[in-house]
Amino acid sequence: MSQSMKGLRKIVITMLVALGIGALFIMAIGENPLDAYIALFKGAFNGKLRLGTTLAGFTPLLLTSAAFAVAAQAGAFNVGVEGEVFLGGITAAYIGINWTFLPKPLLYLACFLGAMVIAAAWAFIPAALKAFYGVSEVCTTILMNTVAVYITSYLVSGPMSAGTANPQTLPVNVTLFQFMKPSSANLGILIAIGVVLLVIFMLHKTNWGYKIRTVGTNPAHADYVGISSRKVFIGSMMLSGMLGGIAGCIEVLGVHGYFLNNFATGLGSNGMLAALIVKSNMIFTPFMAFFLAVLKAGAMGMQQTTGVPKALVDTITAVFIIIATMETAFQFNSRRKKKKEEQA
Amino acid sequence: MNEYVVEMKGIVKTFGEVQAVKQGEFTLRKGEIHSLIGENGAGKSTMMKLLYGMYPTNRGEILIKGQVMENLTPKLAIEHGVGMVHQEFMLVNELTVLENIILGFEPRKGLKIDFEKARKEVTHYIEQYDMEVQLDKKVSQISVGEAQRVEIIKTLMRGADIIILDEPTAVLTPQEARRLFEILDNLKKDQKSLVFISHKLNEVMEISDRISVMRQGIHMGTVNKEETSPLDLTKRMIGREVFLNIDKAYGKAGKTILEVRDVWVSSQKETSKIRGMSLAVKEGEIVGIAGIDGNGQSELAEAITGLRKVEKGTVLLNGQDITNLKPRAVREAGLAHIPEDRNTRGLNRAMTIEENLVAVRLDQPPFTNKHLLNKASHDTYAAEMISQFDIRPTDYRLPTSSLSGGNAQKVVVAREVSMNKKLLIASQPTRGVDVGAIELIRNTLEQAKKQGAGILLISAELEEIISLSDRIVVVHEGKITGEMPASEANENNLGLLMMGGHDKTGEISEKGKAGEHTV
Repeated sequence: MSQSMKGLRKIVITMLVALGIGALFIMAIGENPLDAYIALFKGAFNGKLRLGTTLAGFTPLLLTSAAFAVAAQAGAFNVGVEGEVFLGGITAAYIGINWTFLPKPLLYLACFLGAMVIAAAWAFIPAALKAFYGVSEVCTTILMNTVAVYITSYLVSGPMSAGTANPQTLPVNVTLFQFMKPSSANLGILIAIGVVLLVIFMLHKTNWGYKIRTVGTNPAHADYVGISSRKVFIGSMMLSGMLGGIAGCIEVLGVHGYFLNNFATGLGSNGMLAALIVKSNMIFTPFMAFFLAVLKAGAMGMQQTTGVPKALVDTITAVFIIIATMETAFQFNSRRKKKKEEQA
Repeated sequence: MNEYVVEMKGIVKTFGEVQAVKQGEFTLRKGEIHSLIGENGAGKSTMMKLLYGMYPTNRGEILIKGQVMENLTPKLAIEHGVGMVHQEFMLVNELTVLENIILGFEPRKGLKIDFEKARKEVTHYIEQYDMEVQLDKKVSQISVGEAQRVEIIKTLMRGADIIILDEPTAVLTPQEARRLFEILDNLKKDQKSLVFISHKLNEVMEISDRISVMRQGIHMGTVNKEETSPLDLTKRMIGREVFLNIDKAYGKAGKTILEVRDVWVSSQKETSKIRGMSLAVKEGEIVGIAGIDGNGQSELAEAITGLRKVEKGTVLLNGQDITNLKPRAVREAGLAHIPEDRNTRGLNRAMTIEENLVAVRLDQPPFTNKHLLNKASHDTYAAEMISQFDIRPTDYRLPTSSLSGGNAQKVVVAREVSMNKKLLIASQPTRGVDVGAIELIRNTLEQAKKQGAGILLISAELEEIISLSDRIVVVHEGKITGEMPASEANENNLGLLMMGGHDKTGEISEKGKAGEHTV
């Protein structure tokens, strides 16, 4: 427990340092950093619309960051979450539009299950290539992202097009209740939180979770005790894909009500960032996702009320990552120093 | 007074808590071939990597050509004429042989590389030492033996007159090894000084002038070839330390539990590392595998337990064919396995003692309750194992990375032995652990045997093999060279078999000199 307290403290400090460096940038362009941050905070929380927008932005980020982190538990580096979000979204749209023969409750279920199945199947491809042929999943997932985006682009501009000027599909027949109108915050947030809690429970309390953690920390040991590192690797990648698929489904049913071309750009990579900053710690990842969501949502408010461009938020995020990586470098450095002293 | 081109005195090198070299001594004369021998992990390669400047030493002094070397780096070593041919070749597959040789210090003509000049220089070396290398082929197209010659030329081109060869014959066929020896002889005639690392005694006896032996990081002496014999070297390599006598219950061996029939297995580097081994283990007996490390013992254990592919032959466990089954299926068929490397295979150092203890029982009740971990039963079991096997510290929530070697090994032994399987494969069960743990582990094995388990014991400690086993099987270069009851075994007759001979007349060294591969 003290270990995670230490981790938490580190994250808070990193957060403050990142904001501090951001403040320097704000001063450099001649604005008051305090005003800017207050504007940012207000932009994210002040009022129903703003708070709702923050929550709506947080929902997919929570899922995509958990998706990246859960794959990382088994030692996989899944850059493909974004593609999985797109495919999950288009699948949910297809089912939601066409399977009207199902009663409504079942249609909801079908949308989510369909999104999960297709996204998991998509994630299976790079996972199997890695497990059986040693092809780097980093490369394949990056490449497959582009493929996934173009598949959905084709579908939404062609066979599934609603015929509007913007490439988008017809509206789906089931939607998730938006509880903070006019923002697009919707019941999907509860689903997302539930799913992530379930994943955390699974990782620490079930056999499968134990196996994922074993494979992620020592695959040779896993094989020796009779845990197939390949199977578990593939399984965790597919689980990661499922989470991405759920994110896509929630975006379509909850936010838009139809599939919109390029609707999920950046969701996968932002989720990955959130997970990477906290080294894919499953407990901290959701908090980091929330922090990033707040930054993103508040940025517009900051730009409107002060002269600080919203791109500053990207700078803060980048500084954040640099510090997180530097910390590893520092650890390495101090270890080396210690070694040298021992030798002397 | 400066008779040595290399002197290494009182060398100590540790990696974390592992002492790779405890007391290293080495000297090299001009124009000699000096072999450095010892078992895997004895510190041979580490010593030479220190000389090449790849790691800093913790203590000790290195002199090259009479000059004390401080903060030695590979760059500095090369400047002083040291070259090293590594076990893994460092060549670029997509470049030609010539390009590989000059890579990094290309002779230039204006802005272009002067290939003419390079070719002339390289050809000079090829002819001088009779090396036979095709300069215009890509490295990916040439044989392992040729790649090795390319590596040697590379060191020569960089001006090396002290050349270290790290187990050069491990990757070669006998014919290629023969070619290599001719080249080494040519180099020697040209006053180059060579270090030859190996654990194959017949080769060492064939080409060396002097031989140094290392065991467990300690220099065990240097001898002239004329003054030694393979038997003497074996004794120095494997040592003799008798400090433990278990009252052995000879025995009521029951029915056959493990049967290995004509098994062939490849290793990472060598195809056919094991070439047709057959052996059997009965219930209630310990069968010891004796042999110099690296003669196929590790691969045998991996092949039986499903961790390495069996190319040919069958493995029967209690009558059931388990050849090439998954490790899990093999375990379910009735086998437990103490692996030789506890830090990568045996334990997951990132996880706790408790999690490591339950690793192989995860899917069986009461440890699991319909896919949920039953934490309470884990706790009880871990506490029980910790007291039964005297694992310290006793807090099972600690990560195994915090354990000492002996206690870490006890975790592995506790987990495997408590499975009460009919067959136990124990690979190097006491390697690198303290005396107390050795005693506990050996008694545990003895106890398991009394309860009717068949045990296949693989150990580099001859003393351990002799004092624990009922029967001893000796392996050499992937084949079984002899088998005898432990009561008839001693260091001399085992030593002979470990060097590959099946006669007891001691003519083995002559065969070795004649260069025939004895079986």
